[in-house]
Amino acid sequence: MPRHIKIGLIVLGIGFAVSLGFFVDIVGRVRHLVNEVETEENPFSAPAQPLYAPTDPPVSAKIFFPAASGPALLTAEDEMIFKSAEVVNRAKQILQKLQDGPHSNAMFPSLPKDTKVQDIFISEQGIAFIDFSNTISTNHPGGLLNELTTIYSIVNSLTYNIDEIKQVKILIGGVEKETLAGHCLLLLPMEMDLSITNVTPPTQKTAALK
Amino acid sequence: MRIKRILFPLASLVCALFVFGSRSHAADGNFPIYFQNSKLVVKAQSINRVTYLPLTDIVAVMGLPYTDALALETLTIRSGNSRLVASRNSALISVNDQIILLSSPILREDGKWLGPVDYLTQGLSKLTGTEFRYRVGSSRIFAGNTEAPELLMNAQSLGPITRLTIRSSAPINAELRRDEKSNRAVIALDRTPLDALQERLEHKDRFVRSIAFDDSDAASKIVMDLTNEVKDIKITSTDNNRVLFIDLMREAAAKPVTSVPAATPVPAKPDAITPERKVRVIVIDPGHGGMDNGAAGSGINEKDLTLVLARKLRAALQTKLGATVLLTRDSDVAMDNEARSAAANNNQANLFISLHVGYSPNKVDAGSSVFIMKEDFGDAFEATAVSRNQLFLPWYLGYRTSHGSSAQAAKILQEDLSKAIPGWQFPVRTAPLAVLSSVTMPSMLLEIGNLNNPVNAQTLMDAMFQNKLVDTIVGAVQRFSSTQQPSAN
Repeated sequence: MPRHIKIGLIVLGIGFAVSLGFFVDIVGRVRHLVNEVETEENPFSAPAQPLYAPTDPPVSAKIFFPAASGPALLTAEDEMIFKSAEVVNRAKQILQKLQDGPHSNAMFPSLPKDTKVQDIFISEQGIAFIDFSNTISTNHPGGLLNELTTIYSIVNSLTYNIDEIKQVKILIGGVEKETLAGHCLLLLPMEMDLSITNVTPPTQKTAALK
Repeated sequence: MRIKRILFPLASLVCALFVFGSRSHAADGNFPIYFQNSKLVVKAQSINRVTYLPLTDIVAVMGLPYTDALALETLTIRSGNSRLVASRNSALISVNDQIILLSSPILREDGKWLGPVDYLTQGLSKLTGTEFRYRVGSSRIFAGNTEAPELLMNAQSLGPITRLTIRSSAPINAELRRDEKSNRAVIALDRTPLDALQERLEHKDRFVRSIAFDDSDAASKIVMDLTNEVKDIKITSTDNNRVLFIDLMREAAAKPVTSVPAATPVPAKPDAITPERKVRVIVIDPGHGGMDNGAAGSGINEKDLTLVLARKLRAALQTKLGATVLLTRDSDVAMDNEARSAAANNNQANLFISLHVGYSPNKVDAGSSVFIMKEDFGDAFEATAVSRNQLFLPWYLGYRTSHGSSAQAAKILQEDLSKAIPGWQFPVRTAPLAVLSSVTMPSMLLEIGNLNNPVNAQTLMDAMFQNKLVDTIVGAVQRFSSTQQPSAN
């Protein structure tokens, strides 16, 4: 083999080896980045701060779920939450209970599978803006009654247990949506509606209504 | 040489255009200005597509002293200690030494001072404290507290007739003056001034060429250019003369115009027509569609089942009631709720029925419901327009105009369905429904069955069950119709 061809092949081989090294390095970096995104913790689902302090007293809260039978669309389960000083943290505890689902067989879960609460904001006027992940809409099986119970389980659970919350505005995927599953209008904040439940109004709010 | 031959004429043409074309004058027109106790009709000139008004004529009627300084080329108007100074060919005016920029310059032509409309709305308003209101694109100005009810026009072809609907925020009476030779009809309105929201309608059909509001002589009227096909015109009113219907038709109506829509092309042998049907136009809304399947179960999509039921219901209502029945969708297409409501409102339906199929997490549940709009929906955010009793409701509160009738219709449907389909419950429920919130006629939503219940789903697909369901709804509509007052459309 002539000498100049040998030199050419050696240079090509060195070039190929260097390119391969770069390629492997880049693939490794991309994989690392992808894994980083995948393993990144959702800042909303895993709050950095605890939702209550050890000194916060436990209180009973009524969490509303769709009733399995009977004339009432919603029925309530008594759950224990901690009365944290921050209203937002109390709301998060209640929404966590809703996400966990009912313990009783007489009720059905109200939130579709994989629904996450992305953010909560409570205005001075007492309107709680709850931003749910898109899954609340995409995983919803549909049906008007079913949609109605999903919405009012959220609205009633928050307004019934937290006096500071007067109305609830549901956001989906960070934005305002017209409906959750095609039926119920979400454009205006909603107030507590116990007419579709078998629960009596809370004492403070009953007095306020009078 | 040849280039010069071309260039010289071209340059001359450009110069001529520059000199003579810079100010294009369009035809003059009358422009009424309504004061609280008087009115003034001035000649407006359209220069460079801007409406110019003769300023001195207006200030003279207002009794304001003015100085026309020919040498300085300024017009100074005084009101008490205030003064307004305008200069020729300048868009800047000064009110008490405060400079205001107008949209177009003040002109002086043939010894007359001409100013754009905002000379009044910005300049004279500030000088005199009297507000001049002008709706962009209109040909009238209201000064001070002049009461001018809003007027809205809408025209549509309804089968054998063309209907012009006039809505006003105050009662008005109309008188028809028709000139058969020129094919022109004038609807004289007994109220002036009126604040017309549109000057003319972009509607042309076989009966009408143009429809325009005109008050150029300070008398409100609607001028229609008609075709030769129009043989009869009928005017009817409703809502205490706040709504006028002007129907253009080929032949003279034998009955009052309220019966006209019955003549729309529907099957000719209705077997159960009541002597005077009050529900004549029905809009049926098959829920979901397109990408939105709605609920799904047992191999059935809600969108398909609602469309099947809606088509059957349309045929039955047309055959048995002789009603005009429209579907919001007649194929597998996506529609938003606003478009569905608009279909009912724009067609001035007497009844709106939305059809849905249910889904319950309970596999043995067979629940159905008749829904109407939640009565207190929007209370917390009620727009001030409602309390001020203005012409328009917020779109999402349209349901309030017929909530009582909706509840009545739902109750009748519940009773009839409960009797016809034993073992099924049809409670009347309320919900903040997107599709019902904006409709301005009696409306309800029927959610039937549970697609998560295989037995129930099979029943829903059964043709005999569907026919029974449809017949029951037709009966309920007929019963509801008999309880209603005759309406104008």
